[in-house]
Amino acid sequence: MAHKETTGSKFDIIAAYKSFVNDPDISMPVAAMQSLSELIAQTEVATMFELMEAVKDAATRLKRHYSHNSVSLSAGCDVFYQFISSLRDFGQDFEGFKSHIIAAVREYAQNTKQVKDTIANHVDAFIQDDSVILTHGYSRVVVNALLMAHNKGRRISVYVTETRPRGLGIKTHEILTAKGIPCTIILDSAVAYTMEKVDIVMVGCEAVVESGGIVNAIGSCQIAMLAHAFHKPVHVLAESYKWTRLFPLSQYDLPTHNDHILSFDLVSTPPTSGTNSPLPGTPRRHHPVLRTSDTMPSLLFTATSVPKVPPQPSFSSSMSNVMPINQAGRNPEVDYTPPEYITLLFTDAGILTPEGISSYLVTMSLRSES
Amino acid sequence: MPEIKDKGILRQVETLTSKLRRRQLAGAQESAIETTLLIKYIVAHAKFATIHELIAIIKAAGRRLVEAQPKEHTVGNVVRRILRLIREEWAASVNKPVDEGDQPMTTEDSQTETGEMSTQSSPRSSTLSVGEQTPLMTPATPRPVVSDSQYSLSNFVLHGRPHREATDFASVYAATIQESSTTPKKSAQSIRPALISAIEEVMDELETVFETVSSSAKDHIHSDEIVLTLGMSRTVEAFLKKAALDRKFTALVAEAAPSFSGHQLAQSLASSGINTILIPDSAVYAVMSRVNKVILGAHAILANGGVYAVAGSILAAHAAQTHRTPVVFCAGQFKLSPLWNVYHTYGSLDFANPAHILGFQEGKLMDQVDVLNPAYDYVPPELINVFITNDGDIPPASMNRLVKETYDNEDYQL
Repeated sequence: MAHKETTGSKFDIIAAYKSFVNDPDISMPVAAMQSLSELIAQTEVATMFELMEAVKDAATRLKRHYSHNSVSLSAGCDVFYQFISSLRDFGQDFEGFKSHIIAAVREYAQNTKQVKDTIANHVDAFIQDDSVILTHGYSRVVVNALLMAHNKGRRISVYVTETRPRGLGIKTHEILTAKGIPCTIILDSAVAYTMEKVDIVMVGCEAVVESGGIVNAIGSCQIAMLAHAFHKPVHVLAESYKWTRLFPLSQYDLPTHNDHILSFDLVSTPPTSGTNSPLPGTPRRHHPVLRTSDTMPSLLFTATSVPKVPPQPSFSSSMSNVMPINQAGRNPEVDYTPPEYITLLFTDAGILTPEGISSYLVTMSLRSES
Repeated sequence: MPEIKDKGILRQVETLTSKLRRRQLAGAQESAIETTLLIKYIVAHAKFATIHELIAIIKAAGRRLVEAQPKEHTVGNVVRRILRLIREEWAASVNKPVDEGDQPMTTEDSQTETGEMSTQSSPRSSTLSVGEQTPLMTPATPRPVVSDSQYSLSNFVLHGRPHREATDFASVYAATIQESSTTPKKSAQSIRPALISAIEEVMDELETVFETVSSSAKDHIHSDEIVLTLGMSRTVEAFLKKAALDRKFTALVAEAAPSFSGHQLAQSLASSGINTILIPDSAVYAVMSRVNKVILGAHAILANGGVYAVAGSILAAHAAQTHRTPVVFCAGQFKLSPLWNVYHTYGSLDFANPAHILGFQEGKLMDQVDVLNPAYDYVPPELINVFITNDGDIPPASMNRLVKETYDNEDYQL
């Protein structure tokens, strides 16, 4: 494939992506679209076919480079590819085609705030006065919707989970309290304890998948399941560029899953005498061992903006019991929430049920494959 | 806010508005039919230079009607439905060759057009069929470079992902390109006959809705079954009577206090030879273990597949859920509304006369209590098995998609 060498090698898609994603207002899918549009601006290919191949190639490289957290990134790449394919059908001249794509992406990146406001307007009627909202982690679109409700004089209060291991709930808490919204951080393990006080659960997401479920920061699934058990509505806020072609049937179907996640340590426990020893003939089971000497709590909070939590008496001792780094590495960053635990999805394309999203996405992929 | 200038139209709109407000006109089907007639009058008499002007006039009229009686959801539904048909007609007509667009279409022409409209909305297919007769058409003029913001990425993302909307969007896009080369004034006026016939089709559908909904009745009710219904719904009435032509079954009718509209239904069913048993609402749970199917009528179908139905329906639906009895709703598609039940209290927040619960003769007691008589219940989609409509049997999960396919996003708020 000769064209790949002529197009791909000159342009560093990963560097371009990094420069775009540094902007705090730009989310990963948009940055992916911007970097692919940059590729189109710089490429020297002369035919439509080569251009499409170059985009496909760059998208693959980008996804491979960020394979540990690629779900929302692929969503952005897919939207971009579909957008240029749909434009291609109108058969205009090549240079005009290129410049139109570049202009369209630039305009879109500038309008991300507008998209978030559209979603906030959709969700507005669902946030009643005096309601208590539970959210998870940090989502720009959720924070925007909460702020909009607050600015309209709605008296809301918010519980946000700490959202280990990245601790992004602390960032949400900071922003909301700074704007005067009553907000309390709860432990990820305190969700069931809190749920009775909650009126609605509102989360953002990394990607919306074909089943109508979502992929989001780890812990979302258990929150949604608990909300379901307590009969509380779970509302997901997602820009429609996050709709992605993925149909996970379980957690382990996510592209972010690998063999290392949830694997067992191969350190064998010394056989103990008596009843604990395995029966002869049965394979020995290996148990993960917690070694407190490995604890490196500060490394686990990777987000730069996260402030140190002031040590509280009952917590100070437990902080040293944070799991060792080698164990932390075996934990997933995102999980999959099946559609049956989601009430509604609010997107810039309107309010949709999980089934509604699913039927759209499945039809679309059937069409693009035919 | 655009207003209606034409005196004649204004008078018509105001007449209907006041009828709705005073509830002289009530009932889903009647309101829908009256609204359709009004819009047909508007399309026939309005002066408009572009299609956008016509849409603005219809929207303004629709807004007045909905404001006059927000609980009569079918009024807004019909307005939205027709607005979408108008856009489809327009997109198709703009794609036609210029010289053909000059002359008004013959009725024969437009009728075949509307019939195919739902399947054939993509610009490529329609230009292709025209292109066979006039091969010199579109390819002769080079397409202008896309510089307008019509085909932007945000529009793509907004419209683009759903299959059907993507083709619609593409057709609108193709239409805007063509519009610059054609004269929009002429084509806007010339599609009037096509629009009228499209509206007439909606009208036909509304007038025959009870028959079309009940056309599959015998596939749903089997011999010797016991079905339970509640209150009086003309759709259910027609459905059961149709089924009775082929099947022998027993109908249990809950009386739906305090309106007791169930009495009316029981009488009607019994007089047409159906084995009918009238029960009080409080007995619904008690009889449920014997019931094979619960068949209810809907006041409005919401965008998530839930319904507003006569008060008492939620009781019946929950009782049915406990006994794993299927719950079936019979409704015409014009009851499908792009609405969400935001606050789960009192159904649609519509209240009937409290005098039915506590008469004025009990004056002493009336000073001491508040009396509420909610007219409708909200039945959530998880309690519903299927909707039987004039457009086939639809599970509640598909309602969301159907809403998107029936109405345009921009019309949700009239």
